[in-house]
Amino acid sequence: MIPSDLKYHREHEWVRVQGNEATLGISDHAQDALGDVVFIDLPKLNASINASQEIGEVESTKATSSIYSPVSGKVTKVNTDLRDHPEWLNQDPYGKGWIAVIELSNPGEVDGLMSAAQYEAFLASQVS
Amino acid sequence: MSSSIRIGIIGAGPGGYVAALRAAQLGAKVTVVENQALGGVCLNAGCIPSKALLAVIELREKLQKARQFGLQYEGAVNCDLPQMIARKDRVVSGLVNGIATLFKSRQVTHLVGTGELLDERTIRVRQPDGAETRFSVDAIILATGSSWPALPQFPVDGRVIMTSKEALDLTAQPASIVIIGGGVEGCEFAVYFSGLGANVSLVEMMPALLPLEDQELSSLMEREMKKRQVAIHTDTAVKRVSKTPNGVSVELSSGVHVEAEKVLVSVGRRFNTQDIGLEKVGIQCGPRGEITVNDRMETNLPGVYAVGDVVGKAMLAHVASAQGKVAAHNIMGRPDTIRYEVVPAGIFTLPEIGRVGLTEQQVTERGLVPKIGRFRYMSLGKAQSVGETSGLFKVIADAKTDALLGVHIMGSHAADLIHEAALAMEVGAPASRLAHMIHAHPTLAEGLMEAAEDLDGLAIHQGPKRR
Repeated sequence: MIPSDLKYHREHEWVRVQGNEATLGISDHAQDALGDVVFIDLPKLNASINASQEIGEVESTKATSSIYSPVSGKVTKVNTDLRDHPEWLNQDPYGKGWIAVIELSNPGEVDGLMSAAQYEAFLASQVS
Repeated sequence: MSSSIRIGIIGAGPGGYVAALRAAQLGAKVTVVENQALGGVCLNAGCIPSKALLAVIELREKLQKARQFGLQYEGAVNCDLPQMIARKDRVVSGLVNGIATLFKSRQVTHLVGTGELLDERTIRVRQPDGAETRFSVDAIILATGSSWPALPQFPVDGRVIMTSKEALDLTAQPASIVIIGGGVEGCEFAVYFSGLGANVSLVEMMPALLPLEDQELSSLMEREMKKRQVAIHTDTAVKRVSKTPNGVSVELSSGVHVEAEKVLVSVGRRFNTQDIGLEKVGIQCGPRGEITVNDRMETNLPGVYAVGDVVGKAMLAHVASAQGKVAAHNIMGRPDTIRYEVVPAGIFTLPEIGRVGLTEQQVTERGLVPKIGRFRYMSLGKAQSVGETSGLFKVIADAKTDALLGVHIMGSHAADLIHEAALAMEVGAPASRLAHMIHAHPTLAEGLMEAAEDLDGLAIHQGPKRR
């Protein structure tokens, strides 16, 4: 399940760009690899972040994994509902499991991210 | 039998009552003076009552996971605080009575009242009804403990601004609470009150919660507190606590004001050295006001011993008991000394912490080179089976000699698990022995073996390290 309207980062985060804002989350592949998510350490609201910077952490019953931002900018929204419902990351990673919204400071970065097709190929290459 | 030796003990906490029983076992005639319940702070307002209450939170959280486990039940799981407190009180009074029964069985006399030294062999007891008695002995053990200090910046009234003593008796759940102090007690209460459903803010002056613990465990605890949605304010001092019509307003050094229904003050302990005749008799105290003792637990006056919190070492119940036994042995002609190299300790947060020996930071400060092995609970079959996957085993060895320097465990049953490491340190076993010893499967104890194996990168159930 790799939605075609999103852009992907090699650390398995996705972004959905709308105007000057990007919503980010973790991919279905990431949540599947993690297993049942029990906790997410969310990014800080209003934090300024750089592309590929660690902005949070996801803990599952199998592993703890960092969340990286695919883009640079300022965190303008955080999905605080995930504190009570970390399982949304498993159930709906591209919907209710969104993590944060970033106001882009360098929109050009988005072009450097993978398309759905490229991400699919990337995943295939990771397996082999 | 040396039954002629008479011992007077002031204080019946875990230092005093254990000293009394050990001395009585060895044939002494023991009189213990205590003006409050037997068992001291530990049993009446500390370790035991807090564990009795935290057990309810743990059970509730297990039940909240029940449906994931395939266990169905009807309705909600709610805390009935008055019943919880009543059960806690039954646990405490049962154990207090247990000490009284042990005293009787060993012919230890309990005098109810406040003890004071008149000279180095005479104790005066002021009874609650005002009457006074005095008695002479061959040796004295001071075990008066410590208490909650009166800090002018935190005007404790026992209702809105509380100490742990009142917090353990709260029968109405607060909607919100600010806990001042992110040490052991503060963290345990943060778990308790967040488990009850309160909004908890935890304020700590140092840069990390549990500032005396290994930093790696401190940061893991911070994450566990975030899971519980405790608002953490580290590196933050409390500037002012002021009462408001609805509760309290706490002004932090960061400029933030936190409004809450209650405040719990979890900072500092005061040595109980007042009005027990120390100056009169000439007993020396140290710079912090603690009673000075040698490693035989004897004060500057021969035959007068002191044990427990009042001597200002590790302020732990089990250290007090160990000191009490050492004092009793010395009085009874069995020379003994106390050592503090191997003192295991537990922190009863959820998940709990068990530790023994040095932290990684202490190892480095001492100029030793640490070698570190880690293993995570989530990689244990037992942890997965029982659904307790949060936590870490951390073994610190001397890179040159393989000596075990410290072990730190966070996770389910950590405070019990730590004793294997403590015994290894006690007998001077190198870290490789922990790795070599066969551990039963499936157990949480396997984590200690794997962490010891990881010192050489040889943990079986762990992939190679990234980087």
